[in-house]
Amino acid sequence: MNAVSAKLVVEGLSHHYPDEYTGESVHALEDINLELYEGELVSVVGPSGCGKSTLLNILAGLLPYKVGTASVDGNIIDGPGPDRGVVFQEHAILPWRTVAKNIGHGLEIRGILKSERDRRVQEFIDLVGLTGFEDKYPHELSGGMKQRCQVARTLCSDPVVMLMDEPFAAVDAQTRITLQEELNRIAQATQKTILFITHSVDEAAFLADRCLVFSARPGQLKEIVEINIPREKRIWADMNNDPDFITARDRILKSVREEVSVAKEE
Amino acid sequence: MQKKSSVSSLTQPGQRTAFDRFMWQFNQLLKIDAMNLVILVVVILIGWSIISESIPNPARYLPSPLAVVLSSVDMMVKGLLPSYFSDTLTRLVIGSAIGLAAGIPFGLLLGLNRTVADMFHPMMNFFQSVSGIAIFPIVVIWYGNSDMTVLVVILYTSFFPIAFNVLSGVREIPIRYVNAARTLGASRYQVMKDVLFPGAMPHIATGSRLSIGFAWRAVIAGEMLAGRQGLGWMIFTGQDTDSTAEVILGMVMIGLTWIILDHYLLRPIEADTIERWGLVQR
Ligand SMILES: Nc1ncnc2c1ncn2[C@@H]1O[C@H](COP(=O)(O)OP(=O)(O)OP(=O)(O)O)[C@@H](O)[C@H]1O
Ligand SMILES: [Mg+2]
Repeated sequence: MNAVSAKLVVEGLSHHYPDEYTGESVHALEDINLELYEGELVSVVGPSGCGKSTLLNILAGLLPYKVGTASVDGNIIDGPGPDRGVVFQEHAILPWRTVAKNIGHGLEIRGILKSERDRRVQEFIDLVGLTGFEDKYPHELSGGMKQRCQVARTLCSDPVVMLMDEPFAAVDAQTRITLQEELNRIAQATQKTILFITHSVDEAAFLADRCLVFSARPGQLKEIVEINIPREKRIWADMNNDPDFITARDRILKSVREEVSVAKEE
Repeated sequence: MQKKSSVSSLTQPGQRTAFDRFMWQFNQLLKIDAMNLVILVVVILIGWSIISESIPNPARYLPSPLAVVLSSVDMMVKGLLPSYFSDTLTRLVIGSAIGLAAGIPFGLLLGLNRTVADMFHPMMNFFQSVSGIAIFPIVVIWYGNSDMTVLVVILYTSFFPIAFNVLSGVREIPIRYVNAARTLGASRYQVMKDVLFPGAMPHIATGSRLSIGFAWRAVIAGEMLAGRQGLGWMIFTGQDTDSTAEVILGMVMIGLTWIILDHYLLRPIEADTIERWGLVQR
């Protein structure tokens, strides 16, 4: 956290989606500025439809943008690349590949030798707790395991920045709590730089070093809430009595609520 | 399957398991099927013989099964039947092999870009529906009555169904799989190899079988219209020389060859792929 080099820089980013039928356009993002520092986990919360996924897709290089700049390690983003790993909301692991082959896919694409690949794959399989499931196919996994597999796949190809779009939204509440605690542990162990999008205020406050609250559409950066709780202390059983956590969560919650009511009035 | 065999291996040897019983019933079914088939064939042969006996000039209108068999023996001895048969089969293999080898990558390439895929889809559907025989006249105008004409028609008939099927298969692959590979740094070629090809696998299997089926019809039609050898040519010239037994022999050979090819090679490959892939993709 002492390092001051920004890994991800976004400046003056706006986005409009053209609407082919009405000829009007949807104004999804307005003048977004943000910086992600090395080893930092930053969460983004905001009302539904405020442009969170739009931001993530632009950063992933999957959605071309015209206004503003976005760069990773000084390189302007103009397409997908292995410097940015993405964990999608809906599981996107390939059904015809086993767990191990999915996790090693990024290394395979880069032409890393099999012996080296196998070693690294095993490391991340163990890290996310999928040991023993190496040769299973995705349809043989539970929803939570599929997301673990996706996280491991992204980690294994060692991106500069990890982009996560509501990765735990589709799993049951109990599994979600476990996955959040695991991601906290993984963030601590790997010191990855992570942008984590969510609509859950609790999740944002639990995981983030900084939480960015977006306004209703067009998404604008409304407020930044810092959460200075050491990672080793972030355990759900303790959080509900942690004054720092409660303060941060309540502030985010208040901020998001105002925006949700704005979004409703529209 | 795996579950069943592990069940039987857990029980004592000699003991009848659910799996053994299933296999036994399955074999019984096969036997009944084979019996039915034999009965059916015999009935048809008898009916055919009776009709053949009761009409005037059967040698011209409907020679008896025995006459057909005798004619086939005669053609075997002269070496004509093996030579025609291998001509036709060679054409099928070469034509559909090139058709598939070109059609599969073509379908995948078109599928690389959604906009291109959507644009080409109706056009490919159009071409795959203009059957082999319908394009004959134009190809004959281009290449005359030659082997080239036959080959071009076979290529055409096998290329479009497979390319169309692969393209349809690619369009059904969820875009997030493609995006996942791209964010891992995959090139267009790697997306094709690791996502589009395996994702379209069931369509590739079905499309191949369809293509080869169309190609088989096209070979026969091609040889009739523009060939100088082969089964198609054999039945066509048989008509000119009033060798009706030869014509019937050719027809039977065409049907039998397809049944054997389809039943013992193409269908099992297709069913196997779809079943395995269904398990994988569930
Ligand atoms: N491909 C698209 N074409 C046109 N409009 C779009 C497209 N994708 C999103 N939008 C619009 O842009 C706005 C922002 O969408 P986005 O998916 O980024 O929201 P979000 O914050 O991720 O919402 P949620 O929390 O529901 O996932 C929405 O109003 C949406 O309708
Ligand atoms: Mg979203």
